[in-house]
Amino acid sequence: MAYEITLLTTMAISVLFALSLNFISGFCGQISLGHAAFLGTGAYTSALLTKASVPFLLTLPLAAMTAALLGVLVGLTSLRVRHDFLAITTMGVAFLFVGIVRQQDFLGGEIGVSGIPPTGLGRVGFLILAISLAAAFAAFSLYVRRSWMGFVFKSIADNEDVARLLGIDVPRYKLAAFVVGTAVAGVAGALYAHHFRFLAPDSFGFIESVSVLAMVIVGGIGSVWGVAFAAAILSVLPLMFQFVNDFKLLLYSALLFAMMRFSPDGVAGLVRRFLVTGPRNRG
Amino acid sequence: MLSVELFVQGIVQGSIYALIALGLTLVYGLLRILHVAHAALFTLGAYIGVLVTNQTGSLPLALAAAALFAGFVGMAIYKLAYEPLLSRPPYIALIASIALFIASEEIYRITFGPYGLSFVDPPLQGQIQLFSGFYLKHGEVLVIGLSVTLLGLLAWLSSSTRTGIAWRATVTDPEIAQACGVNIQSVRYLNFFIGSALAAIAGVLVALLNNLVEPTMGSVPSYKALAIIVLGGLGSIRGTLLAAMALGVIEAFGTIYIGRMLDRDAIAFAFLIAVLMVRPRGLLGAR
Amino acid sequence: MRLIQIATGTVLALTLLSGASYAESVKIGFNVPLTGFAAADGKSALGGAELAVAQANAAGGIDGAQIELVVYDDQASPKEAVPIAQKLIEKDGVSVAVSGSYSGSTRAAAGIFQEAGVPYISAYAIHPDITRAGNFVFRTSFVGEVQGRAGAKLIGESLGKQKVTMITLQNDFGQSLAAGFKEAASSFNIEIISEYEYSIKDRQFGPIVSKIKSDNPDAIYASGYFFTAGPLVSQLRAAGIDVPVIGQEGYDSQKFIEIAGPASEGTIITTSLDRDSTSAETMSFIAAFEEATGQKVDMVAASAHTALKVAIAALQVAGPHDAAAIRDAIAATELTASTGSISFNDLGEVRKDVQVQIVKDGNWRFYSVISDPDLLAPPTL
Repeated sequence: MAYEITLLTTMAISVLFALSLNFISGFCGQISLGHAAFLGTGAYTSALLTKASVPFLLTLPLAAMTAALLGVLVGLTSLRVRHDFLAITTMGVAFLFVGIVRQQDFLGGEIGVSGIPPTGLGRVGFLILAISLAAAFAAFSLYVRRSWMGFVFKSIADNEDVARLLGIDVPRYKLAAFVVGTAVAGVAGALYAHHFRFLAPDSFGFIESVSVLAMVIVGGIGSVWGVAFAAAILSVLPLMFQFVNDFKLLLYSALLFAMMRFSPDGVAGLVRRFLVTGPRNRG
Repeated sequence: MLSVELFVQGIVQGSIYALIALGLTLVYGLLRILHVAHAALFTLGAYIGVLVTNQTGSLPLALAAAALFAGFVGMAIYKLAYEPLLSRPPYIALIASIALFIASEEIYRITFGPYGLSFVDPPLQGQIQLFSGFYLKHGEVLVIGLSVTLLGLLAWLSSSTRTGIAWRATVTDPEIAQACGVNIQSVRYLNFFIGSALAAIAGVLVALLNNLVEPTMGSVPSYKALAIIVLGGLGSIRGTLLAAMALGVIEAFGTIYIGRMLDRDAIAFAFLIAVLMVRPRGLLGAR
Repeated sequence: MRLIQIATGTVLALTLLSGASYAESVKIGFNVPLTGFAAADGKSALGGAELAVAQANAAGGIDGAQIELVVYDDQASPKEAVPIAQKLIEKDGVSVAVSGSYSGSTRAAAGIFQEAGVPYISAYAIHPDITRAGNFVFRTSFVGEVQGRAGAKLIGESLGKQKVTMITLQNDFGQSLAAGFKEAASSFNIEIISEYEYSIKDRQFGPIVSKIKSDNPDAIYASGYFFTAGPLVSQLRAAGIDVPVIGQEGYDSQKFIEIAGPASEGTIITTSLDRDSTSAETMSFIAAFEEATGQKVDMVAASAHTALKVAIAALQVAGPHDAAAIRDAIAATELTASTGSISFNDLGEVRKDVQVQIVKDGNWRFYSVISDPDLLAPPTL
């Protein structure tokens, strides 16, 4: 069972992480190419704390706080730059994060952090925690989307200038989206650190940021169920493709491309079309 | 004297950046797509460059073959990958582009092996002395010379020929150009052809400087070129050239003076973020 | 075209699976980067490992049972390595496993193997903490620090150079080499006059080369892999810097010589493989590897071959079923492999001599051997 538990835990952490980006990019329309930096911030915070004998559960809120602190900083830049400029700025944040962590001895530098203690929850307990957190945030996301705040987010995502004209305090809501999304990414990071129990700067680089954005978009940006589904599948896809060995990444990228090309609104769109028009008479 | 050397090194690197990023600007100006797979054509050019040179012994032939072949592949990418996605939000094309780029790296690795290729008899290994103690390899001279020539040629074409003027008008404002009777579709093809050809030429030049072509050699250009066109002000050709040179020079000085605090990428992006905070639309972006 | 390749690949994989899964085979797990940035080293490692298994099977396997190498691609990523380790232990039921991968994935997997009590041998990952995962984890190559100290002895004592410039690769390999080198530098009268760092993605070193020219060192200690070191050495020489360049096992590939061309002549490295060895073991490995794969041997291939050999020898002593007995057999290893004579200390670190190789007439050749048990002492428990 340990193998299945590991896979399920990996999936749950990815779902939480992808939903956290969905909050920023899906709900509020701020595309980020550097979300792994917040995963990393949470992971390093939590790992260093448990190594200093702080109980694991106590490190979760602290990981959320440090990640959100960085999130506010990046959120502030989102008030200044927009659209593709913002996407590339966040990408820059990811590179800066890795570049800085590399050189900090107290973060393990290039050598990384190993010997991260077990959580004391056991494999199953940890899995249950990860699933509960992912489910709780999914529920929260669904709630927010239907709330007044969700409509404000949507109006900002659709057209920021119009939202401003309507008298919406755009900066405040953008910052709110960044704070929530990055804090949750920090929590996902804390789980990540105690799941893999080894951290190195390269694990939180551009590739990780792109993968999580791919999960969100393949799922259908903004759709909680779609994103959760895509994150769960995509996170273990490379392992499922082990049998094609050499062609693993090729198959992965071909699938990703086919999804964008033939169902650009993601899994959510696929399901919606299926439900609306039925399986037979699709145009 | 050291600072002059570093400056020249920066210009060499900046010229390569410029050749790669220009194509990306052309694509962005017309389609608003962050074309990550552009870097796949850079690598393709490098592979063709080494293969053709090793077969025929002629570098000019290799450059021409790389430019032509990559140009057509670029047009095919537009037709097959981007055209169907034009009505979609830009991030769809971005993810499709990233998928194409990953697939390309894998195809290069599976076809040509993971160890990479080198020239059997590397051309242009001689060097000239610029001043006492400072040598520039013939390859590096070619980098600067070819970039200036190609970019100059492009500038002349776009300002002095009918096609060129229509082309430039379209990149600046697609809708008005269309209203004036420009065939947008052919301009798009032209953009992909020219942009991809330039990237492929950059690939051959880098292969020449490193004497090494690897499946993953496009990974740095894939994101660095995005940074450059954003720094320059998305869609601005002059801005892109300026940003490419600025980044080349800043990285050259940065690796020496702050290289032990920040790596090359982090230096580049720290500069990018700083500029964007002051000028949110890039160095020469529209206000 | 691509589809055909995928199809043939799949068919091939399936045939291999079905062909190899007859009863009573002894399974050895092997995680290795076959895709991603480390695919070149992964391919060499896999070649060396497969050769070791084929040789052992030809010689009768484990008490007549054939050995099966269970291979998974970990992309050199800790995230992939953890579930792979679990799969090897639980689904495949391997008796022992070998890492043909880099430090991050090996370190992450080591914890899982330790927890499950399955012996795990790292073939060439240098991370100091790998063997600290516990008593079931071993390493048949040098930790970075040991090689760094050997580099200092080579420069300070054998070459007699004092003013040294360091060019350090920004990753775990480069950083631990630099730490070892600096630690031993003063005892060999080495003065480090300058140090530069570069990223694993860099291939153009113009600015660093220009600066080194004005530093005017007696020797350069540069960490890197063949794909960074090839361009680096070639650019140093082109700029007229002709002092000795000292590298490490990362350079150890024919590809380094191919990239740097004539500029590679005279480059000296510390490594684990002596190509001019008169040891029957090493000579037969080199010949068999080049025949089996059609490519020149490198350090990674030899290291993977060595690690597999250690694993197989332990299985022959202890049988495939008792993990604790296999662990004890590995700990008591005394054998000669292609990378020298192998024995472990209490932490599971290998004790062996450092080979020094030099590029001569387009090939790696014997230069000297450093055997200094005190200097080369690996970390202990």
